[in-house]
Amino acid sequence: MELFLQQVFNGIMFGSTYAIVALGLTLVMGILNIPNFAHGHLYMLGGYITFFFIGTLGLGFWPSLVLTLIVLGLLGVLMERIVYRPLTDQPHINAFIAAIGALIFLESLALVVWGPQGLRIPNPYPQNFELLGITIGLQRLLVIIGAITLIFGLHVFMKHTILGTTIEAVAQNREGAMLNGINVNRVSAVTFAISSATAAVAASFLSPIFMLSPSMGAILGMKAFIIVILGGMGSIPGAILGGYILGVIEALGGGYISAAYKDVFAFGALIIILTVKPTGIFGKKEA
Amino acid sequence: MLKLNQVHTAIGGLQIIQNVSLEIGKGEFVALLGSNGAGKTTLFRTIAGVLKPHAGSVTFEGVPIDRLPVHKIVERGLVLCPQGRQLFPELSVQKNLLLGAYPIRGEKKRIQKNLDRVYALFPILRERINQKAGTFSGGEQQMLAIGRALMSEPKMLLLDEPSVGLAPLIVKLIADVISNINQEMDTTVFLSEQNANMALNITQRGYVLESGRCVLDGDCQHLKTDEKVRKAYIGA
Repeated sequence: MELFLQQVFNGIMFGSTYAIVALGLTLVMGILNIPNFAHGHLYMLGGYITFFFIGTLGLGFWPSLVLTLIVLGLLGVLMERIVYRPLTDQPHINAFIAAIGALIFLESLALVVWGPQGLRIPNPYPQNFELLGITIGLQRLLVIIGAITLIFGLHVFMKHTILGTTIEAVAQNREGAMLNGINVNRVSAVTFAISSATAAVAASFLSPIFMLSPSMGAILGMKAFIIVILGGMGSIPGAILGGYILGVIEALGGGYISAAYKDVFAFGALIIILTVKPTGIFGKKEA
Repeated sequence: MLKLNQVHTAIGGLQIIQNVSLEIGKGEFVALLGSNGAGKTTLFRTIAGVLKPHAGSVTFEGVPIDRLPVHKIVERGLVLCPQGRQLFPELSVQKNLLLGAYPIRGEKKRIQKNLDRVYALFPILRERINQKAGTFSGGEQQMLAIGRALMSEPKMLLLDEPSVGLAPLIVKLIADVISNINQEMDTTVFLSEQNANMALNITQRGYVLESGRCVLDGDCQHLKTDEKVRKAYIGA
């Protein structure tokens, strides 16, 4: 029972990270109708920027987290402006290629600046405590609480502010939004800022627990895509639930069978769910 | 108020609108008639800024608007209620309407006043405040689209084929509302219709579009008796 609870706890922690990263990805996909393949790399860069503020400049954890959020938010706006916006009226394949270009650029940038070896951020909350027979690291608990706070905050923003509602409006009907006087370019920029800033926050929370490496963005980006498909394309609740499902499946599979196969469980779950429900958990029929 | 001077618009290299010039004064109620494929929608999309003309000019209240982004044109008070309605299907009636008030966001009192006005025009919308727009029937969607277009208090409203696909009773209701918008609310209205009968009964004058060219214009009495119009659009 302890092993089970311990794995579930770990699964929820990973799931929190997945949920946030997938949430950002699905927001941008809804707005631009193109997959931002570089999304996981923004997460990776968030981890390194946090490292820069904590490790290099010696700032505290919380100020570093806020600064990382701002830096990545601005980077998101920049990316929308110079990588994607010029391609708005071009064939989709161009944006695909641009996304891959952005991904390679970001990974190489991290490689040049910080090197290929893994880096570690000192854990600001190394304390553990016992609950129901399982060991809970304080930083791990913080990952979960941080994620829930962020998800709740985003929900309030999307449902109860006019700016948040315009994101949904543009995703549902781009031309309809324009004809209502909404500046769709600005909405795209705001969406990109939110998407990269939230990925960065997820990275800030998780990086004191795990090593940073330039390649970690690619793996997480891939998983975020699995989650988005799993949860149903463009569905925000789907991305959140999908994130937690994937985290728990991975942790249970890893704990009971073999940690070496944890990615196999993730992709296996994707195949099974898509066989049963091809549009994903919250997916709608194609319009 | 609105002036088009020798406007040409092409879509994907295909010339759709050719040399269209027209002028609409403040407070007027004007029809744009034409059969399917005549270019009515393309002309409206050009005026609203969704499409850019490759020759000619569009001016609104003396200001050239043909190079402005769509949202800037909306902010100036020229609003298109598009064909196919272009609603936000997953959002509630209330949210669709509030998004229509985006150009005047922040002005709570004005928005509430406009919301009440739209609900007075279409009481059915008030009953379905929280229902998703995508679940509506065609007629209800059209009402919502017109309501949404009114939320920012446009000076001029372009209505692209509001009657298409609707039952005669609903067409009658919508025609009454549009007349009301023009007369009571002092909004200039440019109405595109295949249903020439309905359009000529409520408007003051009209333009007839054929294969992207403006082939005829005049007041409604004149157009109604015109042999070509009768044959082509009224069927009598």
